[in-house]
Amino acid sequence: MASVADFAQAQQPVYHMERPAKTGLVDWLTTVDHKKIGILYGTAGLIYLLIGGLEALLFRLQLMKPDQNLFVGDTYNGLVTMHATTMVFLAVMPLIAAFSNYFVPLLIGARDVAFPRLNAFSWYTFLFGSLILNASILFAEFPAAGWTGYAPLTSRGAHPGMAIDFWWAGLTLLAVSSMVAGVNFVVTILNLRAPGMTLMRVPVLAWMMLVIQFLLAFSFPPVAVGLILLAFDRSFGTVFYQVNMGGDPQLWQHLFWLFGHPEVYVLILPSMGIVSEILPVFSRRPLFGQHAVIFSGIFIGFVGFGVWGHHMFTAGMGPIADAVFAATTAVIAIPTGVKIFNWLGTLWGGKLTFPVPMMFAISFIPMFTIGGLSGVMHANAPLDLQQHDSYFVVAHFHYVLVGGALQGLFAGLYFYFPKITGRMMSETLGKVHFWLFLIGSNLTFWPMHDLGNRGMPRRIYTYPADAGWNDDNYIATIGVFFMTAGILALVYNLLTSLKNGKVAGRDPWDANTLEWITESPPRVHNFDFTPVVFSERPLFDHKHTEGLEIPVPSQPEQIHMPSYSWKPLWVSTGALMVVLGLLMFTVVPFIWLLSLAGGVVIIGSVYAWVSEPV
Amino acid sequence: MPQKAPVVSACHGNSSLSGSSDQRGPSSPLPPAKQIGASLLPWLRPLVVLGLIAVAQGLAGCSGEVAPRNTHTPISSSGDISTFFYQMLLYLDIAVMAVVAAIWAYALVKFRRREGDDTLPPQNHGNMKLEVIWTAIPTLIVVGITVPMLAGVFQMSKRPDANQRIIEVDVTGKQWWWEFDYKNDTANGLQTATELHVPVNTAIVLNMTSADVIHAWWIPRLAGKRDATPGRNYPVYVTPREVGIFDGQCAELCGASHALMGTKLVVHPLAKDAEVDYQGKKVTLESYETWVQHNQADAAKPASAEIEKGAKLFSERTCPTCHIIKGQFDTAIRAPTSGPNLSHVGSRLAIAANTLVNNPENLAKWIAKPSAIKPGSKMPDLNLTPDEAKAIATYLYSLK
Repeated sequence: MASVADFAQAQQPVYHMERPAKTGLVDWLTTVDHKKIGILYGTAGLIYLLIGGLEALLFRLQLMKPDQNLFVGDTYNGLVTMHATTMVFLAVMPLIAAFSNYFVPLLIGARDVAFPRLNAFSWYTFLFGSLILNASILFAEFPAAGWTGYAPLTSRGAHPGMAIDFWWAGLTLLAVSSMVAGVNFVVTILNLRAPGMTLMRVPVLAWMMLVIQFLLAFSFPPVAVGLILLAFDRSFGTVFYQVNMGGDPQLWQHLFWLFGHPEVYVLILPSMGIVSEILPVFSRRPLFGQHAVIFSGIFIGFVGFGVWGHHMFTAGMGPIADAVFAATTAVIAIPTGVKIFNWLGTLWGGKLTFPVPMMFAISFIPMFTIGGLSGVMHANAPLDLQQHDSYFVVAHFHYVLVGGALQGLFAGLYFYFPKITGRMMSETLGKVHFWLFLIGSNLTFWPMHDLGNRGMPRRIYTYPADAGWNDDNYIATIGVFFMTAGILALVYNLLTSLKNGKVAGRDPWDANTLEWITESPPRVHNFDFTPVVFSERPLFDHKHTEGLEIPVPSQPEQIHMPSYSWKPLWVSTGALMVVLGLLMFTVVPFIWLLSLAGGVVIIGSVYAWVSEPV
Repeated sequence: MPQKAPVVSACHGNSSLSGSSDQRGPSSPLPPAKQIGASLLPWLRPLVVLGLIAVAQGLAGCSGEVAPRNTHTPISSSGDISTFFYQMLLYLDIAVMAVVAAIWAYALVKFRRREGDDTLPPQNHGNMKLEVIWTAIPTLIVVGITVPMLAGVFQMSKRPDANQRIIEVDVTGKQWWWEFDYKNDTANGLQTATELHVPVNTAIVLNMTSADVIHAWWIPRLAGKRDATPGRNYPVYVTPREVGIFDGQCAELCGASHALMGTKLVVHPLAKDAEVDYQGKKVTLESYETWVQHNQADAAKPASAEIEKGAKLFSERTCPTCHIIKGQFDTAIRAPTSGPNLSHVGSRLAIAANTLVNNPENLAKWIAKPSAIKPGSKMPDLNLTPDEAKAIATYLYSLK
């Protein structure tokens, strides 16, 4: 019988590399290896997850009881704004980018992404954007207009300080980073698949990544435009969002949500992909209705561009627009339901085991279903008039993003940690994390449904004792303590397992797909030989199906690997200089020279980039 | 399972919802509770208990507190539409969740791998018939809920027939209070702050707009919220059918004191006075016409030397630059930055946008240092001595 050990017999390939790789810090600064960039993204995402969680802990303390004065006014609003901005853009998005970077090439049998240097550029632009977003704390000020940044609350008149400038500047860099990454990964998945890997044999995780990369590439431009208009309003005195000069603040809402709703699917689809990889492994069955799961993901991606108005039912778009957006939104329930039933179908008749990744993947199903079902309520425009901007909506999107997206990413973290580090994470600590987090998130977010029904608006820093909101808020804050404890267990688990975890080997979970035929962690070239794929579960069939074994060539392959490069960092630095100059335009004289210099740096380093041999 | 019944029955919340958490009753696809309990994985049992408690707690509003701003005890037909869809979708959601949870829990118990079993289960890749079923049924459900919803959208945006009494009010959001300008009917020309006064069973048209950033006016028991957007004028149509005082607040993040941008809807009886419950106290509401007549009159003239002193200070401390007191200080120009009309401020229930109960002590506290009560308040700190603040408060409180 064939086994995964067969792949250890393969000979190491012969390299062609333009320049030998650097070592140490310089290696991490110049690397174009998708795995190293994935680790960088993942580390940043986990650090920001802690920061965003700390912000939530602080404002939940303020809301624990009525009439408290821990964080009031714009301090509280700043915590809320930074919690959401951090969690969406700096925690979940880079964690997704980490999985995308590390595993898409491995899942499809490629040696790297299509444009390795562009990938490094995405990473540095993300890093600079995230630092700028948080830099306003140096001036003792947080952006406080909500993560949605509704104009004209973001105007110089409503928020004269610098915080909103840091906010748009940071987000603009993140938008550039995401758009570039989107193009890069679309090309990668469509062009670099292993021989025999037809589109329908692409693993569901890679498929969902393909869908979201299209969403990134097409949904970030509207918000980037919106942010640049905001920058012009704030720095140069234009009036795109100023109504007394003929502008229209609702323009921002359309630009933002035309990005914002596809973004929601960017956050959830990868976790659906991860769950679709994990359930089959621990059920020992193929994913039930794999094609249906893939097509429903594509369908969600398409329809996701036609639903943004459901965030604006209260904005006064008129009944026709309300009706259209309500109807298109309701349609999203259909492919989502298809996915849920196919996951249940995967469990049904399987032989289930329950290690930590499976526990997270399994609890993903009901938690996400709860969030999806309350979403069906919001799709109903007349009902949404009551629920919009209330705690009911807060409950809804936290079930989707914490119970769904984040739990899916945790599942992926426990599942793929052995591949990334070569060591297993502790099962006991993982279970502690799982239970604390699951109990905590339900304690926190479930009572918020009730708060919404009881008429509590979101983003208020205090509430009167006689409004009937005391008990639910108290319980919600208790839940945050559980979640915090769970996250601490995760951090401890990560740090200790890195050194002391059990050695994993190539295929610790008895899994199905190509990433598990490589060493753990994989060498820089990923695969010792180019794998040939005969089915959607190449490794499973290698192990279990006579005649579908992956052939291991006896000769070493001759391969070319991309060399390290400083150029991506240079171009990102140029972009950083441009936005720094623009954001300080009104306070520092002649700072526009910095932007100008940044433009020169970008042009110069792009020239060096294209003429650099790789 | 046994935890469920006492939790639900002990509930003081919306009784129509209490029964709804009984979905996993005899007709559900789950086997009898005892068998499930016995065969549950040890780690699954706390999850089920937790889930049941949470369902009862969250959906039935079971914390035992009263909910004076309950969105689902509406006082207008517009609110009824929202509540109708809430009830409908709640039952639907619970039914769907029950099916998903039942299949999920059954699969977790039934299909776990036994000790030492190393064989592979059947490797079927899917089932076309099932795919069609679980695409078609949700599609039918979606169509079934979308058609009445569309009717609801258009019903809510229907302007009331012109052949009835319609009261039209411009609602302007300002950082951080609400201003109401009465545009027609007997109240034509009136201005109030924070409190909107309307007669019961009469069609109301509210034109939502804003003087600065986007706000959203929301009285949960009246109906859903609407944004007040600068440069736009979006109408809301409601007909309140219950006499009473209803609290609400701004629902769109609008700056530092967003949390303190409260508002009140006061629904007056048409003819006779009525006694209503408000925050556990009995309050007498005069008829709408009495209220209009009282408020159309000029402000009360100072009746004592102490009040006279307060009026003088009010004038000296430049308060009339922003505030109108009809018949006494009419110089303030209406502008986005101007403050509330104070002609009858003494008769208000609350001040500082529903943040403080209206009494001379609170008024003095507010006037002395507004930013201590509402962060970022646009009303400047005038550095009044406590005596000055008290005198002005006495004057204002006399403006019944």
